[in-house]
Amino acid sequence: MQHRNRYVARDIAIFSAPYLIVYFAFLVFPVIYGIYLSFFDWNILSTKKFIGFKNFMEAFGDPKFLASFGHTCQFVLLSTPTIIIIGFLLALIAVRPTKSGKAAETVFFLPYILSTTVVGTLWAWLFQKNFGLFNQILAQFGFKPIGWLTDPRYAMVSIVGATIWWTAGFNMILFSAAIKQIPDEIYDSARIDGAGRLATLTKITIPLLKDTTLLVVILQLIASFKVFGQAYVMTGGGPYATTEVLVQYVYKTGFSYFRLGYASAMSILLFMVILIISGFQFILGKETK
Amino acid sequence: MKSRNLVLVAVFILIAGITLGAQTSQKPVEIGFWSLFTGGDGAFFDAMVKEFNASQNEIVMKTDTVKFDNYYTKLTAALAAKNAPDVVVMHQDRLSNFVPNGVLLPLDDYIKKAGIDISTFEQGPISNCRFDGKLYAIPMDVHPLIMYYNTDLFAKAGIAKAPATLAELVADAQAIQEKTGAIGIAADNTTATYKAYTLTRMFMSMLKEQGYSTLNANNTKANFNNDAGAKAYQALSDMVNKYKVTPKQLDYDSSVADFKLGKAGIHFNGVWVTGSFEQQAGLNFAAVKFPALFGTNASWSGSHTFAVPVQKTFDEKKVMAVMTFINWMTNHGYLWAKAGHVPTRKTAIDTPEFKSLPHRAGYADAVKYTFASPDTPKWPQCYDAISDSLEESVALNRDAKTALSNMEQVINAILAR
Amino acid sequence: MMKRTIGATALVFLFALWLLPLFWLIITSLKAEQDVMTDHLALFSVPPSFINYAKAFGGTDILKWFKNSVIVALCTTLFTLFLNSTMAYVLSRIKFRGRNSLLLFILAGMMVPFEVIIIQLYLEFNALGILNTLAAVILPRLALPIGVFILTQFFKGIPEALEEAAYMDGASRFLVFGAIILPLGKSALFVVAILSFVNAWNDFLWPLVSISDSAKYTITVGIANFQGTHGTEYALIMAGAVIASIPLIVMYFLFKKNIVKGIAMTGIKG
Repeated sequence: MQHRNRYVARDIAIFSAPYLIVYFAFLVFPVIYGIYLSFFDWNILSTKKFIGFKNFMEAFGDPKFLASFGHTCQFVLLSTPTIIIIGFLLALIAVRPTKSGKAAETVFFLPYILSTTVVGTLWAWLFQKNFGLFNQILAQFGFKPIGWLTDPRYAMVSIVGATIWWTAGFNMILFSAAIKQIPDEIYDSARIDGAGRLATLTKITIPLLKDTTLLVVILQLIASFKVFGQAYVMTGGGPYATTEVLVQYVYKTGFSYFRLGYASAMSILLFMVILIISGFQFILGKETK
Repeated sequence: MKSRNLVLVAVFILIAGITLGAQTSQKPVEIGFWSLFTGGDGAFFDAMVKEFNASQNEIVMKTDTVKFDNYYTKLTAALAAKNAPDVVVMHQDRLSNFVPNGVLLPLDDYIKKAGIDISTFEQGPISNCRFDGKLYAIPMDVHPLIMYYNTDLFAKAGIAKAPATLAELVADAQAIQEKTGAIGIAADNTTATYKAYTLTRMFMSMLKEQGYSTLNANNTKANFNNDAGAKAYQALSDMVNKYKVTPKQLDYDSSVADFKLGKAGIHFNGVWVTGSFEQQAGLNFAAVKFPALFGTNASWSGSHTFAVPVQKTFDEKKVMAVMTFINWMTNHGYLWAKAGHVPTRKTAIDTPEFKSLPHRAGYADAVKYTFASPDTPKWPQCYDAISDSLEESVALNRDAKTALSNMEQVINAILAR
Repeated sequence: MMKRTIGATALVFLFALWLLPLFWLIITSLKAEQDVMTDHLALFSVPPSFINYAKAFGGTDILKWFKNSVIVALCTTLFTLFLNSTMAYVLSRIKFRGRNSLLLFILAGMMVPFEVIIIQLYLEFNALGILNTLAAVILPRLALPIGVFILTQFFKGIPEALEEAAYMDGASRFLVFGAIILPLGKSALFVVAILSFVNAWNDFLWPLVSISDSAKYTITVGIANFQGTHGTEYALIMAGAVIASIPLIVMYFLFKKNIVKGIAMTGIKG
């Protein structure tokens, strides 16, 4: 024990150094450099010009920034509750001790390992208006083709749909594990007390999943705010920029229009939003304990 | 003494022989090159590079292909770090993003040194690559917006010749729809996998046909919120909303597929789809330059150019090798024409190989009526903004006045920044 | 009984629906390009056409890209396991002031969309002179915050008594880490390995920007070039997607049990 305590500081340093070096070098430093850049006007190819907070002020007055942020929020609102609830419902299937339960685990989680580009391209093809599978099936039943990705009423919803297929399995796994942790005795006594399935679910299962739910909500929020890849591949931000999310606008501003300072400023604003909302969620979750 | 001299002479000869031998069996110069051509374009381009490499022993071109979507991301990062390859493909309308920052090499001296005769190029595309009088890129092709039409459907609808005016265009489209059931005009108006740039290209062409460029002379304000712009916008909107000869929510891939499968009579697109249409069994079509809908001819056009990035250390041998490569590629433009593009070099057009290619001769004269996009670094953003705006206005059937003033507001804000 | 069969059929239907996109992915890849955009619902080309796979394997460097992806993903996984587990050990087994803040600081890294640090990373790696190497592709991915989170949560659950006993016997901390903690953390390490491998394999934007030699591309970058400049060849793109996804799918089926068990472990300890 004496031996251990004497070298605690050294051990902390040695054990955490490898990770922290990489973390600082390749995550923290670029972010800080990005913060630094946000106070400049820089087109990557020539010298930087210091402009103070002008980039941030421009963002607040830029209709495209506000619109794309709105689209990100729209995506977050549509996707977060749905992917969480669907993940939970799939978990209810997956926890059954039957063969179908095990199969559910496999089937529903499988899409998660595919890459953003594969998912985006595949669903763009499924949703394709004139030749995609979904409309071809509809045509067999005599329906007219739906502009899944070309109609502004449906485009965002379609993107959310693809995202559900892609990621709900992850939430399912988290929920099903937590459900399996609930001791059988609790369910037994509920049954003895005459509680029906729905009552058991709402009054016992769900409350006991509070911790897991909090984790799932935070992870889902973070992921949804960062949305870009699959939306970009599926719609290119269209129709007429109605599905252009903030990260796409940031990416375009930096790499197509070469305004790196402005792009950095906008990404900092996004980062702060994610930080605040996750932090808020975390505190809220902890307090209702 | 004498024997020692003999030995010295022998050694001298030996050394001279070795160094001379080394000179003649020199390793070829390796030139790095980034291409943005994938798919059909990529196949033709890579074949040309292969032929160039095979045709001589002094230079070896090493091509790395980057999908267009990500090409400029990668290129800009590389240029910023002076890490870019020896020669790159660049769209002409992007040059003003790079030239003012001094990352591209002015080429006049090397062109002269390599003995390339600039007068053998079409002067229009060449002058679009000049900044402050200096030439910063050499155009390999122009790819204008043109009009394709299905000759079978035209015959069935009783249309004798390609429409030459706006009235004829609408009438022909209506005739096709009524008499054959096919779509009148397949021109994309909705963004999906590809952005709906066709609307913008048609708008810019129609504007120019009436004598107006999209932005004013010093690129500080929009130049389309006027009568000419109103006429151009109305024509586009009417196709979709009034005459209904173009379907709503038509995206690029569907538009191309519709024409390919013989389900559309007229198709507006760039020349790059010619190759793909040719490979479609059963499709009989013709291709002509964009019609003079408003009296005179003007065609939006892009242009692929070769540019030479500035390197950390200047290597004249490599630059001269690049010149040789560019000279060869532009002279053999008829090979590139197989992808549908129009070569910029008269020496490539005046060849039996080019003349024997179907369709291309039909629209080669479009080159004379092309015009450059505004040369401001803000053009890519303006181009995107105009596309979004036109797409939205046409989809929502806005009247010309509202549509144009909305668009003007957005563009002026970008330019004023 | 009736209820159960309805339930069972509904379930099978749901499974089929969920697998339909993957099914369509494979089917499209086995079609000749002209059979893809057709008027009628063409379920498959008869006989299935392997031309897209022939094009991919014969006309491109796909095998090289595959090899590069394997190298990148394996190296990333190994180094990530090392870095994450040592960090997690500190955060879970040693009490010190600021421990929770450090964990939160690391987790905050998850909120940064990668796209917004690409240029900074590029300039940094350029200054270091290691652009256009597989090392450049590997390094930024090693600091996987969620890996640290998963391992920290898991290690926290290991009883202190085990460590105490070892120290009493005179073991050094390194020995305790290697011989006791790591073996006990096997399933969590497994999950981190899988997440790390999948992330590294599917990485697109960074390998694209940092590698200029197309022979050094990873497979995600390489198959992106199947998208034509002026037209989409769906069948070819789907074939590329299948080739790029197969290793992951195979790995998934091989290690399914561990993956599921491991991810599950993380959500439990609050």
